Amino acid sequence: MKTDLSPRMKVALYGLMCVLLIPFVFPTWWMLTSSVKPISDIFAFPPDLWPRRFDFTTYARVFELQPFARQYWNSAYIAALVTIGTMIVSSMAGYAFARIKFPFSNAIFMIVLLGLLIPSEVTIVPLFQMFLKWGMINTHWPLILVPIFGAPSVFATFVMRQFFIALPGELEEAARVDGLGRFKIFWLIALPLAKPALGAVAIFTFLHSWNLYLEPIVFLSSTQMFTLPQALTQFTDAYGGAMWNIQLAAATMTAIPVLLVFIVAQKQFVEGLAHTGLKG
Amino acid sequence: MTIAAGTPRRKRPFWTIERRDAAAGYLFIAPQLIGIVTFVLFPLGLVFYYSLHEWNVLANTFNFVGAANYQMLLADKALPQVLLSSAIFSAGLVILNMSLALLLAVLLDQKLKGITVFRTLFFSPVVVSLVAWTIVWSFLLQNNGGINGLLQLIGVEGPNWLRTPATAMISVVVVQVFKNVGLNMILFLAALQGVPKELYEAARVDGAGRFKQFRRITLPLISPTILLTSIITIVGSLQVFAQIAVLTQGGPGMTTTVLVYYLYQQAFQFHFFGYGSTLSILLFVIVALLTFVQWQMRKRIVFYEN
Amino acid sequence: MKITQLKASAAIAGILLPLAWSGTVWAQDAVNLRMTIWSANEAHLAMFNEIAEGFKATHPNVTVSFEPLPFDSYTTTLTTQIAGGNPPDLAWILETTAADFVNSGALAPLTDAFKATEGYDIADVSEQATALWTKDGQLYAYPFSTSPFAIFVNNDVIKAAGAKTPAELIAEGAWTWDNAFATAATVGQSGKTGLVLRDFKYQVWQNMASIWNGWGASPWSPDGKTCTFTDPAMIDAMTAIHKAIFVDKAMPGPGEDIDFFAGETGMTITQISRASLLPKENPFDWDLVPLPAGPVGNYAVVGQAGVGAFAASPNAATAVEFLAYMTNPENSQKLAQFFPPARASLLNAETLASTNPLLSAEQIDNVVIDGISTGTVLPGHTNFAQIQQTVRSSLDSLWVADADIPAVLQSVCDSVGPLLAR
Repeated sequence: MKTDLSPRMKVALYGLMCVLLIPFVFPTWWMLTSSVKPISDIFAFPPDLWPRRFDFTTYARVFELQPFARQYWNSAYIAALVTIGTMIVSSMAGYAFARIKFPFSNAIFMIVLLGLLIPSEVTIVPLFQMFLKWGMINTHWPLILVPIFGAPSVFATFVMRQFFIALPGELEEAARVDGLGRFKIFWLIALPLAKPALGAVAIFTFLHSWNLYLEPIVFLSSTQMFTLPQALTQFTDAYGGAMWNIQLAAATMTAIPVLLVFIVAQKQFVEGLAHTGLKG
Repeated sequence: MTIAAGTPRRKRPFWTIERRDAAAGYLFIAPQLIGIVTFVLFPLGLVFYYSLHEWNVLANTFNFVGAANYQMLLADKALPQVLLSSAIFSAGLVILNMSLALLLAVLLDQKLKGITVFRTLFFSPVVVSLVAWTIVWSFLLQNNGGINGLLQLIGVEGPNWLRTPATAMISVVVVQVFKNVGLNMILFLAALQGVPKELYEAARVDGAGRFKQFRRITLPLISPTILLTSIITIVGSLQVFAQIAVLTQGGPGMTTTVLVYYLYQQAFQFHFFGYGSTLSILLFVIVALLTFVQWQMRKRIVFYEN
Repeated sequence: MKITQLKASAAIAGILLPLAWSGTVWAQDAVNLRMTIWSANEAHLAMFNEIAEGFKATHPNVTVSFEPLPFDSYTTTLTTQIAGGNPPDLAWILETTAADFVNSGALAPLTDAFKATEGYDIADVSEQATALWTKDGQLYAYPFSTSPFAIFVNNDVIKAAGAKTPAELIAEGAWTWDNAFATAATVGQSGKTGLVLRDFKYQVWQNMASIWNGWGASPWSPDGKTCTFTDPAMIDAMTAIHKAIFVDKAMPGPGEDIDFFAGETGMTITQISRASLLPKENPFDWDLVPLPAGPVGNYAVVGQAGVGAFAASPNAATAVEFLAYMTNPENSQKLAQFFPPARASLLNAETLASTNPLLSAEQIDNVVIDGISTGTVLPGHTNFAQIQQTVRSSLDSLWVADADIPAVLQSVCDSVGPLLAR
């Protein structure tokens, strides 16, 4: 598939991709442009592709109405902790499931896989009761502990396991002969090789944590503690009606940094996944 | 030769390599396993326990009713329609998501200038907030919205997308696909780039055309990724509900009320936590069965090099 | 593995215990009341914090924190907190869920505490406004907002279409639904939008009460046990609404979401509190008029929001005291800046004009005061959420041009009847 294409073919491909892009890009474009429209222009019909009037004060209002910088920090540090924690927990578990022989490993792996199958709506009430008992309501603990150790990390463990399975065994054997223990083999040999897979896990995990919506709403109650997706719903007028332009300004600020990170990291990300050889 | 009393017998040490390895294995999986037990299995057990009770949150009553909620499940007249809607939704979502993701991945795998820009743009909805995304689409899908406006330009009168049973389901599926197809697209793209290029060259020497190369080489080699993404997508499709809540609220009629939305209604809107828990168990059983079947089928459809 | 498990739980306990402890120690010397609300509006919060500050004068150990929850998932989040065993001390309650909360026994009774509060003057609170929130003579939540439904008018749009404005019709004594629909139809056929029933969206059907009450129709019998969607009054009302939508194009059809305040619409039915949405730049010539007369004559409809205290809270007594303070005559006047009051003494043009500077004295008289004092509340029922969904789902087949109206309404009663009788 990697042959050089004829110029005609190239034009056709560009054209096809541009058409396909419309439904992907238009909503985001609308979000961007509407974030600088006065609210009365947002729902004008037909929608304007370019704002008739500009109102950049929306971006300042975001910070006036909510402790938005604080909420940004909350989302960022939670996502960072969750990402690092998941990378540690999942690479260890994935490595063990792939490379270490121990009794019941397959059965335990199946049990762990159950975590992939359970929608968060199903367990939210019991989880709420547990965290209440532990005094962790309106703290960030549930948003950190559950993703690192619970259901959301299972996908990461799965990816890591698939990567380590594909790893050739000779390196480890050599290390064993040199008298290295399991932990050292994992830390000094296997993990450095796993960088691409870890990169993929990191991006998936970060996105998942960054976009988490149901859990923050249930577990957090004071605006100082809110995360970004939850904060987005808080830009309302006196009667619960959404202040769309300000909400969309906040939404834009929520999306752009992640998009920038993706632009920078996407090459590694794609290659990382390519190396994992995600096999069933 | 007798064993001299003074020579220490070479005792087999307790910590053999196997035992050490097993211990290490358990240590390595401990955080994950404890997490799953604490945050998944134990809550799931509680959900099952709740499903045996009638629980009125507001009145603060919690009474054991045995299998009554499960009998209610069998007698629930709305449930067949809900299961049908879920099946249609999931099937539509998986088929559309997988084929679009594959098409995009193949396009983006080409050597073209500025391809990374396209990649990023196709991926961008994944990072856009779900709320903003759904609002824009509900705006576009209105009877007098952007899509019917476009159709009018070419002389077609578009349907009332979100208010007609057949198109409401299609709309919900399509909006969900555009939002998330980027993830599968990247997984496929990664798989495509992992296909050794020599294979294509060899095929070309044999005179195989593009399409044949794709069918004979590409598809078999990326089949593990196809299996994995299809499992993730099916499981994910059974968990979608925020978008449905915004776009159609399960209507018109009950046509877009999928199981997880129905569960959410019963538990959180109607306050029937007992029955909601019973529906959770049903959902869990369905997801587990589907995954099991797919996992069993992998040997037949997935191609391995060795 | 056991050992690791033990270690892990010890580690978790080490993290948790100090947290839990600090919570209890702190709770002993101070009381913090938590009130969930669905407005994140800064002006609202400032006012509530001011009231809470005032409460400190008599209760120095009490702080009140207001927790804004997203409106769309308000009741869900509240229920999750209750189910998880962490109910707030006080909560705003939507009129639709009033019956559920009031009948459940979850809320603390208020009447006696209010009577015992000096200067409270409970007789001043209109009985009509408290009916929904009362059980067996006890008030369980205080209706802090009683907001009448009215019609906002864009005279520019109506005049441009060459139709009669509501003001002209009122002057002629001809402000009836027939004429209102006729005006809307003229606007609708001119390419703009005639009349929008705000927040209805062909889903929130109970908002149609602002129209069908004019026909004397109601969704169920006064005792709530029998479905009355098939009564002649309801069939007539629904026929009129259906005709206005599908024949006369007086109202936007399903799937056409249009915002009156964007300025392209002739009229909208909504609560008067939405006056704050009127555009400040490029304003149009707007008016506020009462609902037109229906076949049964003049009528008014109000929407309500209540605030109650949870009986199970360890601070329930303090919470009730705070509620008494928050809704006393003096603070009710503060609340009236944003929320139309239920107190008769505040229902005069003077008080309301100072808090609603946008409205003229005439508008306040005709719409606000008349509306609050004579209005019936939107329909509510125990287990409303399920009933709402069931009716919504059956009504969906009414919203097509060739619907068989009596048959659809019969199907509504068939599906919702068993739920009502329960």
